[in-house]
Amino acid sequence: MAIAIGIEAVTREFGPVRAVDDVTLSIGAGEFFTLLGSSGCGKSTLLKLIGGFDQPTAGRITFDGRDMAGIPANRRPVNTVFQGLGLFPHMSVAKNVGYGLSLRGLSGKALAVKVEDALDLVELSGFGPRDVNLLSGGQRQRVALARALVMEPGILLLDEPLTGLDERLRQQMRDEFARLHKRTGATFILVTHNQDEALSLSDRMAVMHQGRLQQIDRPALFFDQPANAFVARFVGIDIQLKHQGVTGHGDAAYALICGQKVPVRIGGPAAPSQTVVALRPDRLFLQSQDEIPLQEHAGRMMLTMVESRFRGLHHDVTLAFADGQTVVVTQAADRPVPEPGQTVAVTIAAGGAMLIPTADP
Amino acid sequence: MNRRLPPAFALMALPLLAILVLGFLPLMVVVVWSVWTWDPLTYWIRPDFNLGSYAAILEAGRWMVIVSTLGKALLTALICLLIGWPTAYAVHFLAGRRLSLILLALMTVPFFTSYLIRSFSWRLVLGRTGVVNDLLIHLGLLSAPLDWLLFSNFAVLVGLVASCLPFATFPLLLSMRRVDPVLLVAAEDLGAGFWTRLSTIVVPLTMPGIFAGFLFVFVMVVGSSTEVQMLGGAGASIVSVMINDVMRVANYPLAFAISSVVLLVIFSVVLAGNARFGLARLFGEGQS
Repeated sequence: MAIAIGIEAVTREFGPVRAVDDVTLSIGAGEFFTLLGSSGCGKSTLLKLIGGFDQPTAGRITFDGRDMAGIPANRRPVNTVFQGLGLFPHMSVAKNVGYGLSLRGLSGKALAVKVEDALDLVELSGFGPRDVNLLSGGQRQRVALARALVMEPGILLLDEPLTGLDERLRQQMRDEFARLHKRTGATFILVTHNQDEALSLSDRMAVMHQGRLQQIDRPALFFDQPANAFVARFVGIDIQLKHQGVTGHGDAAYALICGQKVPVRIGGPAAPSQTVVALRPDRLFLQSQDEIPLQEHAGRMMLTMVESRFRGLHHDVTLAFADGQTVVVTQAADRPVPEPGQTVAVTIAAGGAMLIPTADP
Repeated sequence: MNRRLPPAFALMALPLLAILVLGFLPLMVVVVWSVWTWDPLTYWIRPDFNLGSYAAILEAGRWMVIVSTLGKALLTALICLLIGWPTAYAVHFLAGRRLSLILLALMTVPFFTSYLIRSFSWRLVLGRTGVVNDLLIHLGLLSAPLDWLLFSNFAVLVGLVASCLPFATFPLLLSMRRVDPVLLVAAEDLGAGFWTRLSTIVVPLTMPGIFAGFLFVFVMVVGSSTEVQMLGGAGASIVSVMINDVMRVANYPLAFAISSVVLLVIFSVVLAGNARFGLARLFGEGQS
């Protein structure tokens, strides 16, 4: 059965370094939760603490309310797919998959049936007698998954499991994770630095930076209301502009950028001096003369064309404010691109500009 | 047709020749001479085919010496593995970088002195007035010194283990290095406790090292003589000592017959072990 996880004020120190810094988080039973962050942000350490491979310096971790302190990894209802997979090279596929169950005392026919079911689940039927060293990358991945899932864990931890696979396989395995999550109903926790993975799989996700959780939300909310400039940049909102002040409130708030009034949505209560204007690239449009006038709530910026770069299906058009801050707008490949030096109007669709704190408050 | 030899062959020619001349040639001579005829009256060796030397092995308790030598070799090798395996495990998996280097360096200390000195030093430790007896008496655990500590099979075994231990530890360490630590974490994740991890993961994966270590020690003991001469009791013998004695009366065919039997045993052990454990895996990529 799926297990709910409580992480309460957990800190893990390595000497002077706080790899996990006062993290509080609760993950619902059966949820697909992703810890997203760049390498060294503490996400793998947090995963190790949940798996029981490491002990927190402070705070507690509970499974369905039960404190897990002092319970070693081999006695937790958790199984892990490791980054290096850790397939046992001296055992066949079936022996690998059956390893955990045989330690639980299962043997003979009962074990063989369970193992074959698990291999069916990851679409490796009949692979039992094969040598794990001779499998392809994707097959090895599946064996590792089967080996963890056959234990029917309440929690499955996935530690950067797709690293080292080519793009097509990553897609495939990603679909596989989603399917297996539905099939097994277990709580899945994925650790990754790849935002695509996080966005497409998770019910909720957390962006982690320097040991702290920056934001915990449904994936869509990271774009609608990024908690701060770091989070916004991490999910691909790269355009972050300095402003000279904010006027108005609520729906009628404007930020002054290089003398131009840009309508913004105010995200939090942060002081204006510690905020930037983040622009969602999907809500910016180059406006040509013959196009309809501004929509309601839409803003408009007059910018100078700098350069355009062909990207296959679109152009990346770079435009600049008078003070040199730049904005990149995508323009469909078959649309005309302005000449450098030309002054161009860029419209911002509703919700396209957000006032967000510069960093973790 | 390309008549030029591939460069790889040219490169290999000299080492190959060296192995043949230095390694195989003497062995062949040994095997051939072992079936020649020795005349005890003239000490003359005639190139006539004769299995008399092999028959002579069965006389005068010679075969007992061979058996006891193999027994000593087996026992020493097993003891070295029992000590060396946990040592290698500790050095590789438990010690930090610095500590493991220091431990490795310590393991080479026995090589700093000659076998003779090392064996002799055991006399000072195990003798009637040696360190061990003195200590036990001083502590009041004994009233009279133990006699069996020195000039006994026990002393020989201690000396052999001390000499051979590094030869078991290093191949074990080499094989430990080939065990990916994530395997241990994965096994723990799947419910394996410490001892289960050792028996199901580390031991099977270090099998090539265990066998290599066993083999090195086994061969060394079969070829050893110093420890028996310095530490053994009256009448203690070992193959090398026996061969030496036979050579003294110039009975080369008998000496070579004994050598051939020992060679046969060692080759069989190597071949059987290699077929079972795959020595090549210790050094090559093979399976990883």
